[in-house]
Amino acid sequence: MTTLAELRILPPFAIARLGSSAEPMDNYEMNLTTPIGWRQLADATTFVVDPQSCEIHAKKRPFVVKFRDENGKIRPVAPFLEVWARLDRSDELVPLDLNLLLKLGKEPRALKWSVVTGNIKAFRRTGDPADKVIASTGIFSDHQVKPLLGQCKNFFEQKSIPLGSVQYIKPNEEFPEVRLRFTPAAGRVYGPPLESGKPDGNLAGEVYDPTKGHWKGYKDAADPKTDDLLKMRRATNPGNVYAGDDYDDSHRQSWGYLDDECDGIVEVELEVGGSRLSAFARIAAGPPTFAPDSMPMRTVHDEIEQAMLGPNFDSDVTEKEMDEVREIVRRALETVRLMNTGQMNKPSKQRGVGMARMDFLDVNRALEPIVDPAVADSLAIRSRHERLLIALDSGSLAWFARVLREHDQVGDLSTDGRRRMPALMRGADARYLALTRRQVSKIKAAAEFILRTPAGENEK
Amino acid sequence: MNESIKAKNLTAQLQYRAAGNPPSTHPNSAISNAFPGLEMDFRNVWRRILEGIQLHEATNFVMTVDDAADPELRILETGWRLISVVDSEVMGDVTGPLIAGGPSVILPDTTFGDTKMPLEWSNALAEVLHNHAGQKVRCKFQSVTDASKVLEFDLRIRHFFEHVVSRGENVKQAVISKELAPPGELTQSLCSPWQSDYRECACFYWAATRPDYVNVEPGPNGTSIGQNWMQKDRNPNGPKVYLPDDWMDPGLVDYRDLYRDWEKSLRFVVEGVDEKPPEK
Repeated sequence: MTTLAELRILPPFAIARLGSSAEPMDNYEMNLTTPIGWRQLADATTFVVDPQSCEIHAKKRPFVVKFRDENGKIRPVAPFLEVWARLDRSDELVPLDLNLLLKLGKEPRALKWSVVTGNIKAFRRTGDPADKVIASTGIFSDHQVKPLLGQCKNFFEQKSIPLGSVQYIKPNEEFPEVRLRFTPAAGRVYGPPLESGKPDGNLAGEVYDPTKGHWKGYKDAADPKTDDLLKMRRATNPGNVYAGDDYDDSHRQSWGYLDDECDGIVEVELEVGGSRLSAFARIAAGPPTFAPDSMPMRTVHDEIEQAMLGPNFDSDVTEKEMDEVREIVRRALETVRLMNTGQMNKPSKQRGVGMARMDFLDVNRALEPIVDPAVADSLAIRSRHERLLIALDSGSLAWFARVLREHDQVGDLSTDGRRRMPALMRGADARYLALTRRQVSKIKAAAEFILRTPAGENEK
Repeated sequence: MNESIKAKNLTAQLQYRAAGNPPSTHPNSAISNAFPGLEMDFRNVWRRILEGIQLHEATNFVMTVDDAADPELRILETGWRLISVVDSEVMGDVTGPLIAGGPSVILPDTTFGDTKMPLEWSNALAEVLHNHAGQKVRCKFQSVTDASKVLEFDLRIRHFFEHVVSRGENVKQAVISKELAPPGELTQSLCSPWQSDYRECACFYWAATRPDYVNVEPGPNGTSIGQNWMQKDRNPNGPKVYLPDDWMDPGLVDYRDLYRDWEKSLRFVVEGVDEKPPEK
């Protein structure tokens, strides 16, 4: 008799992307065809869910990758989450599918799913638990679409915000695996009614009752001269990042707007052999990638990898690490070629420039350009990154490794400090961006490996 | 779908892209230099890393003490900040010139006058997490109103990843632990609504997700000319004049445009060039 030791949901963390089209985004690949060119988008195996049968079929290929539907609406990115199982006395995970369920003596309906997502942006500011917007499906085993209706105690009766939906896909002979799909919301804005009684044209729904909660009218504590300093320290950083009116020079008064972004937890349970096994994964919904052939240079995956493996890369460098380092440099190139670096380099107290302004406003650093304006133009910076990427295997990585910013140098606003790499960008602590310590360690290890290896032996 | 994955190969599970999922579903497509972020504000994942207290997502300020925590910790919610864990400092200096060409000096922040800045959690705690996850560690706190007052407590550093007991064995999984962030917490400090971020923040450095400089080509003097991604009425063949970010400039997409019809206002950019504007 087959028995299971463990369930897992893969991927462990899936990102969905907002869009109002009824037609989810197709799958695609980002292919590298030239050393420094753009990634080429190409169609890939795409699953289409039949609304009647709740089963999937593969979309016919080839097709053109399109991010909008015929009506110009953006197609939401709606990830699938798969259930994997580890059999007793096995060290391998295998897909949980109809065949394995049969061996376990189970039907697909034996799987019990539950999903909880939340949007607690208003709560983060007001501190009122009644401002939390939470959607919960309860337990389900059928294959119908389950809306994620965001409920909130401070909403009007019968009002909710749609935070997307989930669906347990019905396994079939062609696609027998157990999977769930998360479809995000449309990306709309919600809030309270206007006092005038006229409709607020910004809103997709008037849901928030300002007689119950205080999100409308809320102001971040933001002025050290008049506000409680501890309240100021509790405010988000950056602060005042909500829709509202500028109440005075420091404060913004909230209009009480909410949105349909969310993050949450997908959970699955299966009772087998007298044991109740369960697994969960995380989901989040954010805006689309508007430059879909480019990738950011420091990502959530880099953070998770560092948490998994530690800050130091202390193994032998292999072709895998060399590829990973090439990928970091490529992502830097992909970032700078979509940035107006000449503009970002300018010193000004006005908006529309970059970190030099923040250095002045935040800590009174002398207002100066970050690099010599003569070399800051976007084409010059792009060209420098392209040369670095092309010559990576022949020693230029050593230069790059030397000029990288360490995590504890982010506050070095000297001329040399501000010119460390990555330049002109902000990190999560508001000062200059440093890569993860593991990324830096990996780049340094790869640079040393190249210098130690005779010319020609490490060329790909 | 893959045939099998070693259960202990957690990096393979982190890298796994499920069948049918576009690349933008993977965490490697989501920015993490969050200030406050786009897909999520990943700084929130560190708020509950020390058992018993909740930290500010962006600073080292103690926001609250959990109800079930040792009552002795309660003092920490009255204006204290974490300054070190084991031997790892979580604050750093901010230095630079006050006048152009001048010497580098300590630069206190202009809001609180703090002479040190909190370092972002992911890098600041990387070593501690790697060496001490699951263990009690010595944590040093400082009063924000009187820097001479310091308190020390031993707090357990939580596991970042979920651990389950399977057949009597403690098994580490690749999913971020449930106790680190309940639903909604990873996105809680983002702009509300999210569209504000595209108008509010000078986040041009998230260019791969939120492009800044598009339709770029060499100008007559060899330097670049192009357009701001937030410029209205632009097209790749139109005049290449970059309008600097300014929420008062009617030539740029504004809050109202974004709240009412962001899908029309924001355009996809492939190979650095705008898609055609949506007609409907």
